[in-house]
Amino acid sequence: MVILPGWLGALDRKLLRDIWRLRSQAFAISLVIAAGIGMVVMSFGMIRSLEATRDAYYDRYRFADIFASARRFPERLIDDVQSLDGVSIAEGRLTSGATLDIPGIAEPITTRIHSLPRAGMPRVNALVLRSGRRPNPARSDEVLASEKFADAARIGLGDTIEALLYGKKQRLRVVGTVLSPEYVYAIGPGQIFPDNRRFGVLWMGEEHLAAALDSTNAYNELLIRLERGAVGQDVIRRVDNMLERYGGRGAIPRSDQISDRFLENELAQLGQITAILPPIFLGVAAFLINMVLSRLVESEREILGLLAAFGYRSRVIMWHYAKLAMVLSLPGLVLGLMLGSWMGRGLAGIYQEFFVFPFLTYRAGSDVLLISCLITIIVVLMGAAQTVRRIGKLKAAEAMRPPVPPNYSGGIAQLIGKFKRLDEPTRIILRGLVRRPLRSILGSLGVAAALGLYVTSAGSMDNVGMMTDLLFNQANRADVNVSFAEPRDERVLFELERLPGVMRVEPVRYITATLSAGHRSRSESLTGMKPYGDLNRLVDIDHGLVQPPVKGLMLSTVLSKQLAVEPGDQVEVEITEGRRPRLALPVRRILKSPIGNPAYVDFDSLRPIMRETPLTSGAYLSVDPDKTDELYRKLKAMPQVAGFSQRAAALNGIDETVGETMGIVTLFNTAFSALIVFGVVYNNARISLAERARDLVSLRVLGYRRQEVSYILLGELALIVIAGLPFGSLFGYYLSKYLAASMSGDLFVMPFSLSVGTVALAILLVLATAALSALFVSSRLHRLDLVSVLKTRE
Amino acid sequence: MADPAPSRPAEDKSLYTIRGLTKIYGEGSTAVHALRGIDLELYKSDMVVLLGASGSGKSTFLNIVGGLDEATDGQVFFEGRELTALATSELTEYRRNSVSFVFQFYNLVASLTARENVALITEIADDPMTPEEALALVGLEKRIDHFPSQLSGGEQQRVAIARAIAKRPKVMFCDEPTGALDSQTGVIVLDALDQINRELGTTTLLITHNVVIADMADRLLRFADGSLIEDRDNPDRVAPSKLRW
Ligand SMILES: Nc1ncnc2c1ncn2[C@@H]1O[C@H](COP(=O)(O)OP(=O)(O)OP(=O)(O)O)[C@@H](O)[C@H]1O
Ligand SMILES: [Mg+2]
Repeated sequence: MVILPGWLGALDRKLLRDIWRLRSQAFAISLVIAAGIGMVVMSFGMIRSLEATRDAYYDRYRFADIFASARRFPERLIDDVQSLDGVSIAEGRLTSGATLDIPGIAEPITTRIHSLPRAGMPRVNALVLRSGRRPNPARSDEVLASEKFADAARIGLGDTIEALLYGKKQRLRVVGTVLSPEYVYAIGPGQIFPDNRRFGVLWMGEEHLAAALDSTNAYNELLIRLERGAVGQDVIRRVDNMLERYGGRGAIPRSDQISDRFLENELAQLGQITAILPPIFLGVAAFLINMVLSRLVESEREILGLLAAFGYRSRVIMWHYAKLAMVLSLPGLVLGLMLGSWMGRGLAGIYQEFFVFPFLTYRAGSDVLLISCLITIIVVLMGAAQTVRRIGKLKAAEAMRPPVPPNYSGGIAQLIGKFKRLDEPTRIILRGLVRRPLRSILGSLGVAAALGLYVTSAGSMDNVGMMTDLLFNQANRADVNVSFAEPRDERVLFELERLPGVMRVEPVRYITATLSAGHRSRSESLTGMKPYGDLNRLVDIDHGLVQPPVKGLMLSTVLSKQLAVEPGDQVEVEITEGRRPRLALPVRRILKSPIGNPAYVDFDSLRPIMRETPLTSGAYLSVDPDKTDELYRKLKAMPQVAGFSQRAAALNGIDETVGETMGIVTLFNTAFSALIVFGVVYNNARISLAERARDLVSLRVLGYRRQEVSYILLGELALIVIAGLPFGSLFGYYLSKYLAASMSGDLFVMPFSLSVGTVALAILLVLATAALSALFVSSRLHRLDLVSVLKTRE
Repeated sequence: MADPAPSRPAEDKSLYTIRGLTKIYGEGSTAVHALRGIDLELYKSDMVVLLGASGSGKSTFLNIVGGLDEATDGQVFFEGRELTALATSELTEYRRNSVSFVFQFYNLVASLTARENVALITEIADDPMTPEEALALVGLEKRIDHFPSQLSGGEQQRVAIARAIAKRPKVMFCDEPTGALDSQTGVIVLDALDQINRELGTTTLLITHNVVIADMADRLLRFADGSLIEDRDNPDRVAPSKLRW
């Protein structure tokens, strides 16, 4: 008994005592509300923080609005671009691939090297100097390295690394580490997850890079900052025209820049999840409030009638219960706000693994908090609405009515009487369930929702697993993947074949092209493949392995939508390299590709088009695992090789970064879902107990043993839970599928896969939670005082 | 104790021996002495009526002897076994095998029919009557398949009596079984109890506020403020149908 101050009105005293009495259910409801609100605060806050950070970063470090690249264009072109309408800053630079030989790492490391302007640091895509100093322009070996790469590859300031740059060996000294708005999400070519150890970015003085590339007074990349309000498309068109004769590969707006696209994609996904999961959590919370409140009001019908008879206005009584519901959920709100900000900070930490900002602080903002409060009030009122409305209709006369046992004589209840083999406790269970079918069904649905959420959260790891399988077991089965700085004569393949440990070599050819159909066009690179390859294969998410097209194109689903073409349609192909031929090719097939936006063409029909000696841009190798070290040593020395990737390392990288971080996010969601399971099951159990207490105690008085009485209480709970399992599994299946679909975009398509193990584990968790709840309530049941329960009438 | 204990039949008819039975609720200044050391012998097949003002300790006494509640002090022996020394689970077995209860508020399970409510007991008893027999004993053979909500208060109470009697208990504890009923219905219920006591020899302890009902008993116990203030035999036991109030 709690001692309450004298100034509290009688109704408010009742309110506080009711809350004290309902504390364990309030606790369960609070957990569910906390989960929902926590998620809202975490995700909204995270979206906010990411957007604000990104905008500030892009703005302060002048992230380019337009990116263009060409084979080689003269320096003076920059002035022409600078004078275009709408252009605020135009800057040229040289960019090249290179492989590094780093002490302690066996395999060659793929890097990208950008030039630093002669004047010093870049004006567009400005760098954040994190440690060390700028390179001395007089020294040819000094470079800056991206911070995460330097950390991951353990390159210290002053360390010397060996680079193979444009076929020439060169010693480079890292004198500073930097961040760039261009590499918020730093991934190597063809990757979707960052692997900082195996992909890095370097910046070196323009003159020195130009000398290494034999490219003085020329650039191959153009970065443009637009003036406020300038139309990007106009500038892009003009720039494309200007660069065409220099081997322009089509300028792209910022929104097509790879790092920005991934960042944007992440924000969209976060928004999606926020739109789907918290409403489910909060819906469950509303349902729990409804359950608790309607049970309370039902047991207090007489008191309500009495209050009405005494002249309390129904508005006052309704307000009393609405207040009760709100106070019941207050701890959930507070807990949710705290939990959300705590997890938001944690999430910000995780994001910094993937998205590199000079600063990223999670800040929920007072409006997010305010919105959370509003949402909670709405949820609570939704949960309370039905019950409170019912109170409004209650008549004072109810109080005077003598107690009538609840009516169980309905049709199904009679039917249960026909089964002579049933024992009476089982009859009690069944009639209890069918007397309030809606409540029983809602109870089961609550369990189903919780199970579904758990399946969805835990199942997201299955999807990633499937993705990894598709990419590294089905599609790319090569142990090593090399790319050349420039397309090479196919004879290079024989050289590769002769390297130690190489067992099989398959060529691949990339050609930049602009594809158009009608008024739509996209700049993409065409990938040329050999049919019946074994190391690099095409997979369709829905149909598995697919052979490259014959005499025509195979387009990714996204690309085919962008061009609005179907199989059989013609696509205009303008090749933007070599002799820049134009031709029309038929679309043979649409491919639902797991990553990127590829367009495939078969190797052999490529040659007549290009009218060139057979060229290859890179190769897939299968390698004898015992000879890798030797092979790497040779590859590091091969001047042609500009890029290198290793399947095992890539897989490791995914396991490390994605596995760990997604693991944490999944853990959060899974913990939330477990809370919901507990909230729903425990509340069901408590309400069953409240409703059955009198019957159960009567049975105890009659000499029923504890287990026999528990059977009735827990049997009902078990049926409700078990009935929820199939629905929950189905719900989880579809929700996972929906989430996978909504996470898919033009960057990658998240395959959907749900393992039986995940569902089984989820069911096991629900059953374990149910068992725990059962333990709680049956211990309560056994603590009930036989005498005091019987003293009162129903 | 006001009256001397009345002369009783042979010792082997003794069913309960109660020594210094005390019950205190709460502690310190708020402690309530519900029973202040009751000494008593109860005999087989007696119809005993318990009288006393509200709060005098009747229900407390009945609940302890019936194995629903625990004493603070003192002993209760049932057929030589000390009930006050039993564990909770042993008390359950005692209630299950030897005694039955009828309460003022019937306590039927609303989701079971009359027959099924009785079956609750016959399913767990060793040598029960059939539910039909038990219901016939209280004159309800026609309402066997009705749910509690379809029965009057008196009928519900008779179902409760049928349920109590169906396992052929040694003792019936009735706490104000007619408290919620009008006099005519009350007589019908008492009639059922009387008949069972006579025909089956079931020892019956019946709490009532109605002094008139004492006339149907073999023995009368009167409580006041936790003590027994009157204990007398009634040689002129009358049938309930003769009672008027
Ligand atoms: N759980 C309890 N906690 C505290 N005091 C109690 C409790 N149960 C009973 N009492 C007190 O014990 C005393 C005896 O109660 P009891 O119920 O035995 O009386 P009674 O004779 O049956 O009364 P009535 O005729 O009104 O039913 C009363 O003073 C009562 O207030
Ligand atoms: Mg009493």
